Amino acid sequence: MVVLGAHGVRAGEAGRTKLKQGHYMNQYGTDYGASGHNGGSPEYATSGHIGGGSGYGGYSYTGYASRATSSTAAACGASHGGAPVVSFENVSKHYGRLRAVDGLTLDLRAGETVALLGPNGAGKSTSLDMLLALRKPTSGKIQMFGSDPYHAVKSGRVGAMLQSGGLMPEVTVRDLVTLVTTLHPRPEPVNTTLKRAGIDQFADQRVDRLSGGQTQRVRFALAICGKSELIVLDEPTAAMDVETRRLFWDSMKEEVAQGRTLLFATHYLEEADQAADRILVINRGRLLADGTPAEIKARAGAKRLSFRLDRVDEPFLLGLPGLVNLEIRRDVVQIQSSDSDATLYAVLDAGCRPREIEVSSLGLEQAFLAITAEDDATNGHANATNGHAHTGETN
Amino acid sequence: MAGTLALTKAELTRLIHNKRYFIFTVAFPVVLYLLIGRQVKQSAYHVAFGAYYMIAMSTLGAFSGALNGNAQRISQEKKEGWIRQLRLTPLPANAYVVTKVLVSLATTVPAIVIVLLLGRFYGNIHLPAWQWPVIAVTVWFGSTIFAALAVAIGYRFAPEQVQPVTLLLYFFFAILGGLWFPLGGALGNVGQFTPTYEAVKISTDVIQGVSVPPGLAVGLAVWLGIFTALATVVVRSTAETV
Repeated sequence: MVVLGAHGVRAGEAGRTKLKQGHYMNQYGTDYGASGHNGGSPEYATSGHIGGGSGYGGYSYTGYASRATSSTAAACGASHGGAPVVSFENVSKHYGRLRAVDGLTLDLRAGETVALLGPNGAGKSTSLDMLLALRKPTSGKIQMFGSDPYHAVKSGRVGAMLQSGGLMPEVTVRDLVTLVTTLHPRPEPVNTTLKRAGIDQFADQRVDRLSGGQTQRVRFALAICGKSELIVLDEPTAAMDVETRRLFWDSMKEEVAQGRTLLFATHYLEEADQAADRILVINRGRLLADGTPAEIKARAGAKRLSFRLDRVDEPFLLGLPGLVNLEIRRDVVQIQSSDSDATLYAVLDAGCRPREIEVSSLGLEQAFLAITAEDDATNGHANATNGHAHTGETN
Repeated sequence: MAGTLALTKAELTRLIHNKRYFIFTVAFPVVLYLLIGRQVKQSAYHVAFGAYYMIAMSTLGAFSGALNGNAQRISQEKKEGWIRQLRLTPLPANAYVVTKVLVSLATTVPAIVIVLLLGRFYGNIHLPAWQWPVIAVTVWFGSTIFAALAVAIGYRFAPEQVQPVTLLLYFFFAILGGLWFPLGGALGNVGQFTPTYEAVKISTDVIQGVSVPPGLAVGLAVWLGIFTALATVVVRSTAETV
């Protein structure tokens, strides 16, 4: 429970977002409420994030908290005290009638590695563009290091790499990195940057004769050529093959180990899962979930429970604690659950004797799909992600 | 400022390797001057044709250099995202445009110097020593006004549109400004309001030894104001698409 308390610092923000998403509570509130797991822990009542009412958190947190937060609490706890590195306060960006970003509120703390996860057109790029002062929010306020984004970027405290960022042609890689390094108030040695970005092998080649993956690494070099405190990366591994991607994240971990804060946008769930200690799930410009990878998985019902049952009683199964999704085919029951233990115990407690019990983990992918699909369904946008893709990420 | 200079230096290094730039800015007016400069025996704008043509060709080289190359490059760099990349660095927001104008100021110098030297030693034009720098600076200033216009075009148009747009402006200001041949009549009346004409006429008036009408200098200043305002509006309005 001590661990949970530490987590409450961040949970406060999560609570704000969840409050807006009443549909979560409406849909599942009764199921979760019936489980009764919430009542026993006073910490939850005071910490506020569960009180915010999404209902799920109450006990999926109990399942995961000890494992999931012990590492992040240790890593972030020390730095949680100061002002946020980045804060979005009810930020919106509208293009005509389209809401690319719609009331986004979030804080980043020093030392965190945060993934901004969402499908194409979710508003990730627009959010990062606004953070980096490339676009102005229609409404709301963004702050970085306590100042407006433009001055924060110009102070050299932010290093950024965007998909749409281009390179000066007709010069060598080394010349380009040297040039951008010169622009920095606190530059890193050029050779160090070349090595870290893994581009020292082709430093004397011309920039316009590189492959896509090499170009991407040069962009990365430009993002880390100064001693920045925050690094912002938009789909950093988009043009990389598997091996390059692994190398990239290895070097990225070194940057983070120096105490830098990292924010990256991705639609690779695996990447968010492995690299980030916090994930912000964003869809159609809104923040849907905010937590550790484990919490995000838990949120959507991250375990699959299946068994055979002789007499299937559907109403009973629907009332099971932790149940997120139920599928019945003849005597085969498949349940997606946010707390597979509780679900299974309830089945057993009811006197059932299921056979061929299997409990398996759902990946972040299913969790993510569940969260966004649910959001789309609630808001009546069956194909919302497709319809959105054009304008949300145009640059 | 150090950043702006670093970027300017890098840009100039790039430019030295650019053949296209030399053909349009330097080679074209030089060849024209070699072909025509000594052939015509009449006078133009009350000075010897050779002297007029020397001034016209240096203006042509400088003004097309300021207009064509820069607009194309800016548009290309905008499309490729280099401008965007620079906005992510500590380089101040206006430094890119300032750099482009500085580079433009530098790139027009060779055309002017080479054509004036040709005029002196190939065209045998003899002027009082003080008139050379006055002419050079006038032509240079008159041409680099187009650096601001190039910024506006580069930000406003996609690379494939830049070529026709600059070509159109090139013909417009070259012909109406009397750079290819001295204009008279109705066209001449319209043309006397172009900055290219103003730059040439100030120079020929200096050579002729008459006092330069202040209207010409004011005209150049007004054009500078118009193009700068245009560039400012375009750069600001396209800020979110860069």
